Amino acid sequence: MKTKTLLMMAAMMAAGFALGALADDTQQMKADLVGQTMGGRESAWKFQSADQIKSLKVEKKDEVLNKRVYKVALELQATNNAPRYAADAQVEYTRTGSGWKIHHVGLLSLRRMK
Amino acid sequence: MNANGLVRGLLGALLLCGCRIDQPELGGPLPNLTSEQRAEFLEGKKIFQRVFEPKDGLGPLFNSVSCAECHEDPVLGGVGDEVEVHAARFVDGSCDTLFDEGGPVIQQDATPLLRALGILKEVEPTNATIAHRSTPALFGFGLVDAIPDATLLAYEDPNDTNGDGISGRANRTIDGRVGRFGRKAAVAALFDFNAGAFPFEQGITTPLSPVEETLNGKPLPPGTDPAPDPELSLVDLQKLDTFVRYLAAPPRQTFSSYEDQSLAKRGEELFTSLKCSACHIPKMKTGPNPVKALDRQTVELYSDLLVHDMGPELADICVGSTGPSEFRTELLMGLRFREHFLHDGSAKSVQQAIERHGGEASHSRDKYKGLSDPDKKALLKFLQTI
Repeated sequence: MKTKTLLMMAAMMAAGFALGALADDTQQMKADLVGQTMGGRESAWKFQSADQIKSLKVEKKDEVLNKRVYKVALELQATNNAPRYAADAQVEYTRTGSGWKIHHVGLLSLRRMK
Repeated sequence: MNANGLVRGLLGALLLCGCRIDQPELGGPLPNLTSEQRAEFLEGKKIFQRVFEPKDGLGPLFNSVSCAECHEDPVLGGVGDEVEVHAARFVDGSCDTLFDEGGPVIQQDATPLLRALGILKEVEPTNATIAHRSTPALFGFGLVDAIPDATLLAYEDPNDTNGDGISGRANRTIDGRVGRFGRKAAVAALFDFNAGAFPFEQGITTPLSPVEETLNGKPLPPGTDPAPDPELSLVDLQKLDTFVRYLAAPPRQTFSSYEDQSLAKRGEELFTSLKCSACHIPKMKTGPNPVKALDRQTVELYSDLLVHDMGPELADICVGSTGPSEFRTELLMGLRFREHFLHDGSAKSVQQAIERHGGEASHSRDKYKGLSDPDKKALLKFLQTI
């Protein structure tokens, strides 16, 4: 097998692992968000169940020392008949003795979807 | 003097000085807080009084430089003479709270860096309805927060099934919770109310709202907000929340003269017979709470915390699922300390405020208008006890 092919396979495997890790992050994050509140007043959103998160896409992940910060795009809906909202949020985790623990969620933007 | 005489004498002295036993001090902490909780109250008070400057993160768009600037009369935590500008669009029965155009609060001031660029305040969005909002007193808000949702929901009668002309309903926030704070009950929890005050009123970012408010939906000009975000820590936000949560409900007023007491008693009867109390429900009870001072306490809020149609004369903006003419029943606790009335502060007296009630309150308003002068005086005397 040529070196070029091997390098391509390695790159594809690395990308696959990265995507898999992000998918794991996404599922875990949905669970972690339950109970958290972001924003304030009329734009406050308290995640009461994972069902309210219609989609969650991790757009960026940064890790510095004991802190992980994700930028995520969310689609949120309180109940099936309620309006749907698009939100950008910043989810911050801190490292604890037992692993990574969600610290808080910041609301970056919110708009009601048509 | 025998024992009975002594007791009568002491009670008489209490009545004469207008005192009541176990009444908290206005602006003071809830009774029965632990010494540790009282210390937290005082710690949070410092954040409430903190005057922010541009170097601390104030603005660039803002309404006030501190919480205390607006909530100040007659003591810290009370009302203020500031009247805010809010906006929303109501199109085809659907409400646009303008989240992507800078939000419903239109900030009325700007820091020097923004002013240097000719921007003196946020502009009112085009094709939006404008409303004015007075500053509410915060006394007893922790108790109001501790009332279970089920209590509010038990008062709902959205289809007026009992036929009394009153059809209150609980507002729902965008995330589906039962709302209770704000003039349209569009905020579910006291923490959300407090957390939103920093970005909306002072232009202070927090970990929960880590980016600056926009200028009518457009990013602020570069270099106009030099302070790093977030400008307030989560710890300080929680301290501030604790201060507001532990603010005692305002003490009731008692009168020393028998004449005033009788008049107020007659007024209270009228308050019930005119069905004012159908919406301004005199008292509710908090639910189980880990803080003893908030645990199963009676709160004399004089509100059902539901939204009602108040008629076209008072209608202004929609908020979430509330229409332009729907308002949450105003809490009357602390009424005697206010100088401006109604949600926008436009009524200069209690009488004016009553006379401008409409919609579901029309019947009660008309009955008030039909009262004799002595009965009107009695009702107003009763309201002076709240």
